[in-house]
Amino acid sequence: MKLLWSSLAILASAMLVIPAQAQQPRHGGELIFPVPSEPPSYDGHREETFGLIHPIAPFYNTLLRVDPFDRTGTKPAPSLAQSWTVSKDGKTYTFKLHKGVKFHDGSEMTSKDVKASYDKIIFPPPGVGSSRKGQYADVEKVEAPDAYTVVFHLKNPSGSFIASLLSPYNFIYKADILAKDPHWYEKNIMGTGPFIFVEHVKGSHVVGRRNPNYWDKGKPYLDGFRAIFMNSSAAEVAAIRGERAHIQFRGFSPKDRDNLVAALGNKITVDESPWDCILLGAINHEKKPFDDPRVRRALTLALDRYEGSKALSQIAIVKEVAGVQVPGTPFATPPDELAKLAGYWHDAEKSRAEARRLLKEAGVPEGFSFTFKNRGIPMPYEPLGVWMIDQWRRVGLNVKQEVIEAAAYFGVIRKGDFEVAMDFQCGYIVEPDLDMYKFLSSDRNPANYGRYKDPVLDELYDKQSRSTNVAERKKLVREFEKRVLDEQAHYFMTLQWHRIVPHSSKVHGWTITPSHYLNNTLDTVWLSE
Amino acid sequence: MAAAPQTVEELTRAAPRAPWLAAILNFIRRRPLGALGAALILVMVAAAIGAGALAPYDPLANDYAAMISPPNAAHWLGTDAYGRDVLSRILYGSRTALMVGLGASMIGATFGSLIGVASAYFGGRVDLTVQRIMDVFFAFPVIILALTVVAVLGTGAGNVILAIATPMVPRCARVVRSSALAVREMPYIDAARASGFANRRIILRHMLPNVMAPILIMATAFLGEAILLEASLSFIGLGVQEPTAAWGLMLRGAAVEFAETAPWMAIFPGLAISLAVFGFNLFGDSLRDALDPRLRTQ
Amino acid sequence: MGLYIVKRLLAMIPTLFGVAVLIFVLLRVVPGDVVEARYLTQGSQFQSQELMNQERAKLGLDQPIWKQFTTWMTGILHLDFGLSMWTGSPITEEIKLRFALSLQLAIMASLFAQCLAIPLGILAAVKQDTWVDYAVRIFSIAGLATPSFWLGILMILTMLIVFHWVPPMVFTPLWVDPWQNLQQLIWPALAVGYRYSAVGTRMMRSAMLEVLREDYIRTARAKGLWLKLILTRHALKNAILPVLTVMSLEFAFLLGGLVVTEQVFNLNGLGMLFVQTIAHRDYTMTQALVMLVATFFLFVNFFVDIAYAWIDPRIRYR
Repeated sequence: MKLLWSSLAILASAMLVIPAQAQQPRHGGELIFPVPSEPPSYDGHREETFGLIHPIAPFYNTLLRVDPFDRTGTKPAPSLAQSWTVSKDGKTYTFKLHKGVKFHDGSEMTSKDVKASYDKIIFPPPGVGSSRKGQYADVEKVEAPDAYTVVFHLKNPSGSFIASLLSPYNFIYKADILAKDPHWYEKNIMGTGPFIFVEHVKGSHVVGRRNPNYWDKGKPYLDGFRAIFMNSSAAEVAAIRGERAHIQFRGFSPKDRDNLVAALGNKITVDESPWDCILLGAINHEKKPFDDPRVRRALTLALDRYEGSKALSQIAIVKEVAGVQVPGTPFATPPDELAKLAGYWHDAEKSRAEARRLLKEAGVPEGFSFTFKNRGIPMPYEPLGVWMIDQWRRVGLNVKQEVIEAAAYFGVIRKGDFEVAMDFQCGYIVEPDLDMYKFLSSDRNPANYGRYKDPVLDELYDKQSRSTNVAERKKLVREFEKRVLDEQAHYFMTLQWHRIVPHSSKVHGWTITPSHYLNNTLDTVWLSE
Repeated sequence: MAAAPQTVEELTRAAPRAPWLAAILNFIRRRPLGALGAALILVMVAAAIGAGALAPYDPLANDYAAMISPPNAAHWLGTDAYGRDVLSRILYGSRTALMVGLGASMIGATFGSLIGVASAYFGGRVDLTVQRIMDVFFAFPVIILALTVVAVLGTGAGNVILAIATPMVPRCARVVRSSALAVREMPYIDAARASGFANRRIILRHMLPNVMAPILIMATAFLGEAILLEASLSFIGLGVQEPTAAWGLMLRGAAVEFAETAPWMAIFPGLAISLAVFGFNLFGDSLRDALDPRLRTQ
Repeated sequence: MGLYIVKRLLAMIPTLFGVAVLIFVLLRVVPGDVVEARYLTQGSQFQSQELMNQERAKLGLDQPIWKQFTTWMTGILHLDFGLSMWTGSPITEEIKLRFALSLQLAIMASLFAQCLAIPLGILAAVKQDTWVDYAVRIFSIAGLATPSFWLGILMILTMLIVFHWVPPMVFTPLWVDPWQNLQQLIWPALAVGYRYSAVGTRMMRSAMLEVLREDYIRTARAKGLWLKLILTRHALKNAILPVLTVMSLEFAFLLGGLVVTEQVFNLNGLGMLFVQTIAHRDYTMTQALVMLVATFFLFVNFFVDIAYAWIDPRIRYR
């Protein structure tokens, strides 16, 4: 009898505790989200646009994934691989796969599928395009010694190899299909993911339904999803506002956020984060007077980034003042240290005076005119362009802007047909190896439009890339940043983009990260009533 | 000649030393809509010429402290997303609009008329071939042709003028050609040819002046269209670029986004465009009525 | 009559060929190509020249220009419009839905324009030089003068602020859900229709003015019978013909010409597609689009010509 009463008491107190915990995910519902861009093909290994990831990633899994609840978007977590080990010398990575993972056609996924997929990414056969091949230059070979083990052999140890496996584009395909036709996945979809492909109506939408045999039992929570292609952000905002869609996974402007909050009150939840995208100024070292580091330093000193941040964050998707890493991530330079670099001084007057002095010293006359080439995309290229030109006017530079249509832009810039131009960088994960690769000497990296060679910089990059000691790496990254942004001013950063995702408060289980390429598998997402 | 008392005639009698005043008043009385159009055009031209003196602020100067302020004492029409004075930008914008409008209209009308007249004059195979070529350009919707030309040449005011003029050429050529065909049948043209005058001289000295009426009407109509087309191209980002002051540009981006809470950014430039094009159209309409003898009131 | 029809049909062929050559050449002159648009625009840190060359070869872009042209032309003669360079899907598939939308919008806008133009034009002619005439002319010219995208913005804004309602943002074809379809398309049709009614109003007014000058009309007017006469006798028929002609020609332009309107109302039509394909440098698709619009335009012209020739036999023998 006493036992009965104590058990009842325990049960009663347990029932009181449970509601105090987080809500339990609810099964059911269809998630509807607009996507501003339609995928040109379905092959993740080939494409580079988020227009592929948003509607298609839910149909696939990757070997590893970024922890879906990590706000910095950098923590690796298991996906198809349930665990992994690294050898002592750092050159061998061994992954153990989950058993019983089924493709949507019913066949089982084994290590040979992982090997075939990564062979396609790292060693693509002739005629097959792989966009990220260059990221895996350190990989010697991929092996599948048994059905549930995959081994990567590297030529050199690397501090960023795991991060490179977190790419959301590295869908795991079926080996048998790849063997028959390596192009099959460009036009077809068949993966292991939490959702099964239903239809794609060109120009309209993509629909997926719940995979009842998903290997991660209990997930996904949603019954399905519908990705609707919309071309204008006004339409997307209207869809969320009219409660015809739940969330848009890329980001809205600050004004759109304010409008939505004003219209929907607490039916809207706003998630914000610094964005792993930034616009930077490429300076053509082959055109005078930009071969002179004093002139380049003047260009960056003229920009009052703190005032710019305050003003532009109200009208554009930029905000944080940043160096080479997204603020708030493990390798980012703390703000007070960043403030010591040229262009980041808090005293704007002093900064402008220094800019004028340097220009004078370099022999650049007052009212000197040059052309700034910008890309024909309104947000945030236009506001940043207007801001920069105004800032340069205040140090006596008369800058004209030439806007080049988006598709033609990089063709022009690659040729070196510019003096100063707007460059752009977006990553799927914040990782120094990825984010600093751009600044390497142009003979090493053709994507460096500045046309300069700096062996000191290259050496610093290689040292930090090989280093597996986090503290040492941080130091090297700081040195790299100082050289590229301050001493030599090869490039200059504008403002870090700022990701604003206002979504229906019914959406749970989705965590914002700096990358709009992450957390789109939708397996952890659920809708409340 | 009607004997009914005409205020204008009385005025003319009363002020014989100001016949131009009489003419203007007459114009206003007989064609009030045309007069309204002419007035609007004059305002626009005055704004364009006098922008330097009239504009209270530099149209390019950013002022982040005054971002997106509503119309007030300091900024009569408010400020835009970068703190730039809307009134100043509208005044300078009329310069851009007139420059592009006049440029495109003149280039389009000039080339179109020359082609139309020459084609009518030479007739036969030449006429047929030229017509075919013009048909090819005609088959492209105006904005698609303009967009393609912009894609080839790039953006910016100069290229926009060429891009807008391109679809105007065949349209002008077609209209002028039909008028020129009538002129070609005139006896003095035959006489000129018989006298051995060079073709070029006949075209330029004898035919062209006689088709000035339709050319003028076309040019006025084109001006309005050109201003609209420039606004459309700038609106979608393929026309004049920042930070130049241009009406279509002012309607882009922040103007639309902030339209609910800061409507002045979208209303005033749109109003400017509408009034300018309205003026040119009204004036052109009245011009057409005046020059087309069939439509005069009894 | 038959000979005239054949002659007109044959006359279209060189024009279409000219359009094909023009768009083909223009596109090749535009800087950049689809491979650059795909691989250089995403801000990725890694670029491979070899990958880009591979892709070019696959799309046939490394062939000499004349060869690319003949390949395309032979394809058209077999009614094979090829694959989009950007998505790899058949072009007919890509265009289908967008064509339906643009066609419907063009028809609705034209109908609205005519409903507005004809009565207003008659009214203005009958009350020439009175304030009614001025009001009608101001109203119709205001339609010409107002940028349709600005009108669209104002419309959407008004609906949002006053009615708290936004039109549906996804296109449902007319045969699937007519109510939803009309809810979305009625607004751009009104905005565009208002603009295009101006031309018709002006034409209707001048045509009507001519008719009103006829002696028998003036006599009837003096007798007080003019209204009935005008509206029931052939007078109206004669006046309407040139108006319908002009409006049909305007209709032909509406198919591909609504680029900015489509952007404002977020309509996935041919105009929007055109801007996208140019941005992607998708040669095959842009060429197909332009040919489609040009063909449509020429056929509308053709039908109008035939109608005229049928009504006025003198034209056939010119």
